[in-house]
Amino acid sequence: MENFASLLAGFQVALAPENIGACLLGAVLGLIVGAMPGIGSLAGCALLLPLTYKFNPTTAIIMLGALYYSNMYGGSFSAILLNIPGDSPAICTALDGYPLAKKGKPGKALMAANTASFLGGTIGILILTLTASGLAKIGLMFGYAEMTLVLLVAMTSISWLIGENPIKGIVITMLGILVASIGMDTLSGAPRFEFGNMYLLGGVPFTPFIIGCVGFAQVIKLINEREADEKKREREEAKQTKLSIRGSMLSLHEMRRILPPILRSGVAGTFIGVLPGSGATTGAMMGYAMQKKFKSEEPMGTGAIEGIAASEAANNAAAAGAFAPLLALGIPGSGTGAVLLGGLMMWGLNPGPLLFDSNPEFCWGLISSMYVANIFTLLVAILVIPFLIKILSVPVKYMIPIITCVCIVGAYSTSNSMYGVLVMFISGIVGYLLDKNGFSTAPMLLAFVLAPMLEKNMRKAFIASQGSLRVFVDTPLKLILLAVFLVLILTPVVKSIRRKLKKNNSKT
Amino acid sequence: MEFKKTLRTQAAIPLTTAILALVFLVVGVADYGFWSNQPTPGFFPIIIAAVLLVTSLVCLFQTFTTKDVKEVRYNRNELLVILGGAGIILGTYLIGLVASCLVYIFLWLKFIERAPWKVVITTELIIAAIALGVFTGWLQVRFPIGLLGDLIL
Repeated sequence: MENFASLLAGFQVALAPENIGACLLGAVLGLIVGAMPGIGSLAGCALLLPLTYKFNPTTAIIMLGALYYSNMYGGSFSAILLNIPGDSPAICTALDGYPLAKKGKPGKALMAANTASFLGGTIGILILTLTASGLAKIGLMFGYAEMTLVLLVAMTSISWLIGENPIKGIVITMLGILVASIGMDTLSGAPRFEFGNMYLLGGVPFTPFIIGCVGFAQVIKLINEREADEKKREREEAKQTKLSIRGSMLSLHEMRRILPPILRSGVAGTFIGVLPGSGATTGAMMGYAMQKKFKSEEPMGTGAIEGIAASEAANNAAAAGAFAPLLALGIPGSGTGAVLLGGLMMWGLNPGPLLFDSNPEFCWGLISSMYVANIFTLLVAILVIPFLIKILSVPVKYMIPIITCVCIVGAYSTSNSMYGVLVMFISGIVGYLLDKNGFSTAPMLLAFVLAPMLEKNMRKAFIASQGSLRVFVDTPLKLILLAVFLVLILTPVVKSIRRKLKKNNSKT
Repeated sequence: MEFKKTLRTQAAIPLTTAILALVFLVVGVADYGFWSNQPTPGFFPIIIAAVLLVTSLVCLFQTFTTKDVKEVRYNRNELLVILGGAGIILGTYLIGLVASCLVYIFLWLKFIERAPWKVVITTELIIAAIALGVFTGWLQVRFPIGLLGDLIL
């Protein structure tokens, strides 16, 4: 009950005119960015981060939250109509959404996706409302050593879940931490690793670095997709049908078909979202896989409306669930979460157990705004249906120069100097090369954001224990966290060794 | 348009990170120290650099010992995007940032994509609206005007 009273107070913040405006703007921009194939929520949030500088911290984060959230809706549009997922969480939506569109029911597929996104998201936000402050209370019991271990678990879980090679995961995570250590020492404020460069004294600026690593790197990769995109569009243009809201409405029978998968995937997706490193993509895949075990009126993969509902409900629920560890413990669950966390830190807010005590109006305002954003996004997503064909007709090849310019203008605006543009440009090339060679940049971003927190907690733990390592093993909770950390490190290594042994055995 | 890169970047990346780790390790130990009654500013980066050095070397070893490594191919068009970005940065010092962006869009759309005039003009207007309307007008960002702008104003 206490949580719902706080939530009502939060609505006073969320329903302030400027916050409603920011929420609506975030919803519209998120839908557009999400619908554009190849950009994705991570690059979308990074590219639009400079726009929030004008606002106060609460309004800014409300806008970013709405943007991230509506991105999940937008990703399904191009997946259904063009068979090109706007973002990775929409991959499973394309499996049934596109076949249903090919059967001449694109409107039904879109409406099922929108309804599932809305209901799945609502389940996720409800669970977030019930659990976030409780999680923060647990977090309050954590000392420096426990926080160090929690942060290590968060960092390793994302590195190990992404990619097949655990060594590459460690390399990229360590690189992110080293880049973050340039500038000022987190405890004493003394200059460190600035190599005599005046600009490096302030460290590597967060926003240009993120815009480069995900935005500019994405543009470089996007150029290879333009020919495939062109061919796909040529094939689709011939079969395009007109979309109308009335023709897209779901019948009562169809609503009955999608409700059970929405409820199942909504709950499961939220808990997947809470786990560090898993995020909306894992949520959507798990939701879709789970639906395969249940009965669908049409076989899955041939245009089953249940498949669309399961993956969309799960990815939106996971997106909402990811806010719980972000707000309560200061641990982002994904690369996009890391961008949001970086944004919070830029505005002087320190997410973590104390945030619910020190800034309750912000926390509850943000959670309430997610309900508002969910409704706005649903309305905009339905109203935009008749114009979707037009919006999605912008070819990838025309987006390349536009995104390049937005990256440069955005990087300049956040630093007010060409240093920001140079950081963006260099990190863009580095991000592209890393990605091309199988080093995913998401763990690097997460490590870049979490590194100062990890260093501060680790050093304070050592100061308190006067250098003794026992500080990390002297309570059952610490032992459990350490065990989770070790399991996360060792599992992929053991798997890799077993794979090699199996290969050798099969050869002999 | 595709060409094989003779230098295997799969090996170049861990080699670069190993060198970087070594630099941080040496500078960290020499300039910031590791421990003096309590952890010093070099403590955390030294540990991280040491882990990075070891894992980079393991990664490097993997690239040479693994036989079925996928060949990484680079496309000349990717280089064009990078050159375009570099062109805007250089152009900023001469004609300013917004003007450089507009020139780049014109050159890219007209000569690389061979886009119709309607697309070129619409895209130019969109970027001008974003840069001047949103960033300069709303966010009060003052973009550099370059040597040419300084001469004129």
